[in-house]
Amino acid sequence: MQVRVERRPWANVPYALLVTVVLTAVVGIYNLIAASRPAGSESLVFSGQAKNQLLFLVVGLGAIAAVAAVDYRLIQRLVIPIYLLNLVALIALRYFGHKAKGAESWFVLGPFRVQPAEFMKIGMVLMLAKYFHDDHRPNQATYGFLRLVPPAVIALVPTVLVLTQPDLGTALMMTFTAITVLFFARPSAPVWVAFGMVAIVGVGVLWNDYVRVQGEPRVTLVRHKLKRHQDARITSWLDPNSDLKGSSYHAMQSKIAVGSGGMTGKGWLQGTQTGLRYLPEQHTDFIFSVFAEEQGFLKCLGLLTLYAVMLLAALVVAYNAKERFGAFVAVGVAAMVFWQVFENIGMVTGLLPITGITLPLMSYGGSSMLSVMIGLGLLVNVSMRRHVF
Amino acid sequence: MKLKLGQKSEGKELRVRLVVLGAFFVLGLLVLAVNLYRLMVVRYEEFFALSIDNQFKDVRLRAPRGVVRDRRGEVLVDARPSLDVFITPAFCQRCVQEVIPRLAGYLRWEDEQRARVEAMVKGAHGPQRYQPLVVAVDLKRDDFDVLLSHQHLLPGVDLDPVPHRNYRAGAALAHVVGYMNEITQDELTRLNGARSYDRPPYAMGDYIGRRGIERTYESTLRGTDGWVKHVVNARGEVMRDGKGSVHERDRVAPRPGNNLVLSIDARLQLTAEQAFPGTAGAIVVLESTTGFVRAIVNRPSFDPNEMTGRVSSQRLAALSKDPLEPLVFRAGQNHYSPGSTFKVVTLLAGLQSGVVHEHSQASCGGGYRLGSRFWRCHKESGHGLVSARSAMQMSCDTYFYRLSDMLGIDPIAKVGKALGLGAITGLDVVGEVPGIMPDTAYHQKATPGGYTKGLALNTAIGQGDVNVTPLQLAVVYSAIANGGDVYQPQIVRRVERPDGTVKQEFTPKLVRHLDITPEQRSIVVEGLKAVVNEPGGTAFRVRLKDVVMAGKTGTAQVARLGDKRLKKEEMDYFERDHAWFAAFAPADAPRVTVVVLNEHGGHGGSDAAPAAAAIVQKFFELERLDGVAFDRPLVPAPSPAVTAPGPALVAQPSPEVDAGVEAALSATPSLVRPEVQ
Repeated sequence: MQVRVERRPWANVPYALLVTVVLTAVVGIYNLIAASRPAGSESLVFSGQAKNQLLFLVVGLGAIAAVAAVDYRLIQRLVIPIYLLNLVALIALRYFGHKAKGAESWFVLGPFRVQPAEFMKIGMVLMLAKYFHDDHRPNQATYGFLRLVPPAVIALVPTVLVLTQPDLGTALMMTFTAITVLFFARPSAPVWVAFGMVAIVGVGVLWNDYVRVQGEPRVTLVRHKLKRHQDARITSWLDPNSDLKGSSYHAMQSKIAVGSGGMTGKGWLQGTQTGLRYLPEQHTDFIFSVFAEEQGFLKCLGLLTLYAVMLLAALVVAYNAKERFGAFVAVGVAAMVFWQVFENIGMVTGLLPITGITLPLMSYGGSSMLSVMIGLGLLVNVSMRRHVF
Repeated sequence: MKLKLGQKSEGKELRVRLVVLGAFFVLGLLVLAVNLYRLMVVRYEEFFALSIDNQFKDVRLRAPRGVVRDRRGEVLVDARPSLDVFITPAFCQRCVQEVIPRLAGYLRWEDEQRARVEAMVKGAHGPQRYQPLVVAVDLKRDDFDVLLSHQHLLPGVDLDPVPHRNYRAGAALAHVVGYMNEITQDELTRLNGARSYDRPPYAMGDYIGRRGIERTYESTLRGTDGWVKHVVNARGEVMRDGKGSVHERDRVAPRPGNNLVLSIDARLQLTAEQAFPGTAGAIVVLESTTGFVRAIVNRPSFDPNEMTGRVSSQRLAALSKDPLEPLVFRAGQNHYSPGSTFKVVTLLAGLQSGVVHEHSQASCGGGYRLGSRFWRCHKESGHGLVSARSAMQMSCDTYFYRLSDMLGIDPIAKVGKALGLGAITGLDVVGEVPGIMPDTAYHQKATPGGYTKGLALNTAIGQGDVNVTPLQLAVVYSAIANGGDVYQPQIVRRVERPDGTVKQEFTPKLVRHLDITPEQRSIVVEGLKAVVNEPGGTAFRVRLKDVVMAGKTGTAQVARLGDKRLKKEEMDYFERDHAWFAAFAPADAPRVTVVVLNEHGGHGGSDAAPAAAAIVQKFFELERLDGVAFDRPLVPAPSPAVTAPGPALVAQPSPEVDAGVEAALSATPSLVRPEVQ
């Protein structure tokens, strides 16, 4: 038994997943070198950020190994403490956090800045997986409203904490991830209907507040309650020509960068939008526009394919998982990655409103890298131990 | 053996959901791919063009404005470097909240100034947001250094040395040279016309000629700005390569404006400024046979250097409310009763009508009776028997009363108009007034009760409704001097290209010729010579040793006098008589005409004639000094490097310039108010 446990997990390591993750991260560093070069420079400078990112990658791979090494059933038992610890960290952020751009997002730990919200996502996924594992009732296949209340609370508490940091982007990502997991758990028909109605109302509000042509002052339902920059982002998303040099500036500059890349791109270190800093946050949130401008459409397709393989490999892990906990963790992590990729690339190409969301494995940042890596470590863990029993 | 989740009862169904989820993910990524295709392949060209547009900024290379020199090449107006501060609103992030308050702190702005700059920045819309706005001029070196060291805190703020107009003559020629100030929004729209905003000839914050030749010759003096494309980053900062040089593309060099050479002689101008005897008035010095202006004095005056900077509204208000009206160009923009200086016109009209001849005489008993009214001569005891010559010499009013009684007003008006009265002279300084040359038709319209014979008597001695500008009077006396040629006075001798070659030479402009026979001229001129050169002449005390000057004094009443004659000191300033003196010399081969008007100055003979004499004397001294009456500068005009940008480009003062003269010229502002009693 012991021998089998020691040996067999290696056979079930999801190599496709690991390879795509490492490949994407390496492409990310390559791209980051271009994104973080000094303004106006066209020569190769291995910036501090690129070096850091390399360090984060190594640490991240270590994190995968560490998370994978621990039997996930142990982790399963520790889910509640992990979840609560993350909540405590989020609350503590209010008192000890570092303020940046009006939001409290970071703890400063020596040279590093840790974003608890990134790790909260993993905590939430684990907690949801645990709930759906424990609450499994084979005779009651679908989840009605009542049974969905606990997972909704599990998701809502951290989401509201993150939203009020305020970090609308991460809160949205957590919401979408949680909804995906909830729907994966098979809700009952009335839940579907109710969700559909909420979605229709949401679209209706957006249409009324932003799109419908009406006289001034506009009769708005929600818009007047939003913060100005949030309102401006939605405006620039739904009506990008409204204020080209104002709030739509970033959206437009990002589209110019992406569009001007063309089929084959301007070449590494040759992007003018990048080099002359027309892109905001070009090493974090807008990293994809750097990639698109310099590498072109074909390589963008390649990058999307990498993400597709990564996501499908994650779902294969879920597919092969031995029990509901592992499957739900895998689905949660996959959903988390998917929504970030979708929202990030969607926003830099003008498809979605701009929210501060990083592109997994491409954007600069240790917390972002580490949270994705820990998620992947969980997937590896689940995959390795699918035959344990 | 494998125990899979899928083998449990729920497992199969979970796997179906996984497949659905996988399909959803792939669909999501496909949506992204399609959108990327739309942007990067379908709309590639559009976005590529935008990315090219993005990285270049058109930078204007200001063309240096033309220099103004006097007839000998002495620089009157050039440029000096001024350290100016600009804000480009589009690149000025958190401008009103942070940048302007910081700037205000560094430059110690008052709230008013700060509010003005805020309004400017907020007022810029659309493409104007990319045009730099001037927010401070003439920075002190220390302030400049402070801003330079805080430039990282001042996004969108640029510091540039900009050539500013330097009026070396200061207040001396302010009214004719003019000044400049900021272009208005309306002018911007009008001058830039339908052209696109890309490279407009004028930009917000540009200065434009406002008065005098700066205005008249705006298009001549203003060059054509050059342009260069610089690579800029998103904050509008010009990018430099490793060696610190700037990437440039499509450089179009600026073309400097053309230079003007005036007919003014700075040395004579200085003499005239110094000789001016009173508080307010004007002196006009014309070349008798061409109409070119050699010197022109206006008092009081203002400093065009001050007006061209950011003159404060209080200062401007003070200037325009000053009762002495320093902003008015008195030589051409104000008209006055000419007094006895007008008698040459009356006499000429009499000679031309054949009513009088050389030996016609009249008896002066201290006045002339027409109907029930008695017209007083200025000498109560009377001049006795006077001829045309002695009437002129002693300025006997009675002779001219009698003459005009015989003539009527219309022959006088006819000659006056032929000599240019009642119409603007056409000097290249806009805003002249035409004056008034009354005739019967005029009085029928303007005078209650219409024309009566007495009006002719008033006109004959230059009182009543006849009004002339000093410039007009100078034209009249020049025409009498030269035998009837009425010239349009001009102040610009020629236009020179930046390299010093002549672009346009101005020639004398003959407006009309009045036939004056040599006999008629001789009768008038003999009278005028007697005024200055014979004992008993009203200006006998200013006679010159080397040159025979012909002239006429005038003392024009401003207020209707009571029975008692008051001394000058007993009257309110604004009610005192104007002192006139109009002269030319040499009397028989005239070269220079001088008209002096000393507003409320008193008597022509004592309060105007000495200045004219000093000017005439200086004129001939200078002619002897220069050897010839030349029309070329002694020193070749310095030729500026055509493409060199920056303030150093505009001409340096010619080595000839006497520092003393220059200092004296710029030290003449006389904005001092008179003591109004």
